[in-house]
Amino acid sequence: MANPPPKIRWAVFFTLALLALAVRLPQLGERPMHTDESVNAYITGELMAGEHFHYDPQDRHGPALFLLAKPVAQMCGAKNFAGLTETQVRLSTVLAGTATVLLFGAGGEMFGFIPCLVAALLFAFAPLPVYYSRYFIHETLFVAATLGLILSSGRAWRKTSLSSAALAGFCAALMLACKETAVIHFFALGVATIIGRRFRVSPKIPSARIWLVVAVIFLGTAILLFTGGGQNWAALPDLFRAIPNFTARASGQGHEKSFWYYARLLGGGWSGMAVLFVATIGFLRASRSPASPARFGIALYALLVFSIYSAIPYKTPWLALNLWLPLAILAGIAVEGGWLAWPKFSARALISIFIAAAGVLIWHDTRERVFQMPADEKNPYAYAHTVEDLLRLPPRLEELARQNKIPNPRIAVVAADAWPLPWYLRKFPQTGFWQPGQETGPADFFITPTDVSGRLAEQLKNFRPEFFGARPDVLLILWSPMMTNLAAAAPPPKIP
Amino acid sequence: MNKLFFRITVTAALLIAGAAWAQDKVPLQTDLPKPLFVGTPVPINVPNLEPKLTKWPDFSVPAGTVNLAKGRKVTASDSDPVVGTLDLVTDGDKEGDEGSWVELGPGKQWLQIDLEKDADIYAVVVWHFHSQERVYRDVVVQVSDDPAFGKDVTTLYDNSAGGKDLPYIETRFGKLVDAKGVKGRYVRLYSNGNTTNKMNHYIEVEVFGKPAA
Repeated sequence: MANPPPKIRWAVFFTLALLALAVRLPQLGERPMHTDESVNAYITGELMAGEHFHYDPQDRHGPALFLLAKPVAQMCGAKNFAGLTETQVRLSTVLAGTATVLLFGAGGEMFGFIPCLVAALLFAFAPLPVYYSRYFIHETLFVAATLGLILSSGRAWRKTSLSSAALAGFCAALMLACKETAVIHFFALGVATIIGRRFRVSPKIPSARIWLVVAVIFLGTAILLFTGGGQNWAALPDLFRAIPNFTARASGQGHEKSFWYYARLLGGGWSGMAVLFVATIGFLRASRSPASPARFGIALYALLVFSIYSAIPYKTPWLALNLWLPLAILAGIAVEGGWLAWPKFSARALISIFIAAAGVLIWHDTRERVFQMPADEKNPYAYAHTVEDLLRLPPRLEELARQNKIPNPRIAVVAADAWPLPWYLRKFPQTGFWQPGQETGPADFFITPTDVSGRLAEQLKNFRPEFFGARPDVLLILWSPMMTNLAAAAPPPKIP
Repeated sequence: MNKLFFRITVTAALLIAGAAWAQDKVPLQTDLPKPLFVGTPVPINVPNLEPKLTKWPDFSVPAGTVNLAKGRKVTASDSDPVVGTLDLVTDGDKEGDEGSWVELGPGKQWLQIDLEKDADIYAVVVWHFHSQERVYRDVVVQVSDDPAFGKDVTTLYDNSAGGKDLPYIETRFGKLVDAKGVKGRYVRLYSNGNTTNKMNHYIEVEVFGKPAA
């Protein structure tokens, strides 16, 4: 099917992007901050305070997300970490998700108009991309950059375009500056391209100039991003030091799941099986289409990333967004195939009914998972998620401080892993974080896990405990001075 | 001499009465559900923190004490539970798996057991949820003769704001509340959500006592 004229095509995708934005914005700040979101917000806050980004090869990722989030939050009026809000930090990933929908508008030449339209629809409204577009982690920006790399490298190859080659290099660097898992995608895209050339008719290999531009822009951008514009050259060797860390992490480190985890996750809910079924048909169709190396390539890429991610023991639900990208395009290829293969009115009416029914199922899942129970432990996307109970902690601390007439309370958090407390206590300037066993000194309030012992236990003998949930199965205790609670005593509950 | 004899007689009588009374007491026992989450209990040594139970507590009740709540009618502030049915609370199943518990709506809710006649109540044991570490808020246990709990209410346990009791972490050993032989027909339990969500769960409630003479 021929592509519509550019004006119409872009009008369609621009409208879809606006709708995607509209779906992503409501109740953006209501879901509690996941631990990873709070870490990312803290780093963004450091950049807002004028500090340079320091790449940590142990447990952090590249700077791309923070470099996007900082100006977005500042444009929303945030001045520092304490002033940041959930909505302000999540707006950056909302914009990245919206940009992904718009980007499909540039894919018509490569994959066809209908496949890109269907993929854009799936990205705009399906529960997985909508949920993680509203989640302040790297995945959504990473997937946007991946789509950018696929489209721009395809164009650079087909048109021998230097500007597209530069864009491909930039997108590849952006991917690496989002997450180190970029190397998996570089590998999968490379293998898909090589096998595609071996078995399918494809344009000749790009000239050395194209490769050179890709390499120079990639290296230049990556160096610029990781070193903070030349401020921290140690980031480059650290990037290589991260390899053993991430290799070790791939073995699981508490996040081990079965090979079929992603298949089950993507096939779950009311709509999952329908999307997987259609994408499988698209895979079969694309892998048999010799005239389109791009479609053959995306089918191979889907197979490779699905296999690699499923084979790696370390699994989290947000990583499934990387699989959603090729699946969405393959689903589009299937819809296009059905539409073209059955031109009769009755057949097309049936396809339309199927698409409408799938739309209803998708909307049901999106409504339930994104808006109705975004942090519920029954929601498969809410992985080790902060529970709503923790939202009570800051106002409770304020209340207790007010009752005790402590204008600036000293809060000692003693925990091996305190996240996401630095986010929730960001408005309390005198908050300190200690590891268990460290001497905290005097404090007005203590926050600890439930396994309190040793000298800290002695310190807490005149404090009253109050439990707060941090995550399912993880409790924290707020210790407040004993008299506070007596003063704050309310009458026992009345019969409703 | 007479004085000494009197003292010896009184002391002996008290000792005999005490021994008889002690013999009449038996350890309270109940069937415990299997553990649903594994973890090494860490000793907690803070005066104001109720230790997490790692075994069924030692508690004595008069001989002949039975679970009066078994199979009794249960009513609740939420008459249409989100998950499960109210009869699960007194069906004797204390396992923490889905299908064993009833979920009442968000916020403060109560649940009430009608023992059908007045009883001398010695202990109330409640299992809210024990498949993960959580704490239920504002737990209150009361006994009354009045089904509306408008009068003659005895509060046995109260860890809400202002209550004298401390919050506790749920375990498979439940929460044993000393009822001290209070007389009453209705037992009411309050809670106000938990540390994981705003819902109120009950797996089982046992009321140990004897029908009033």
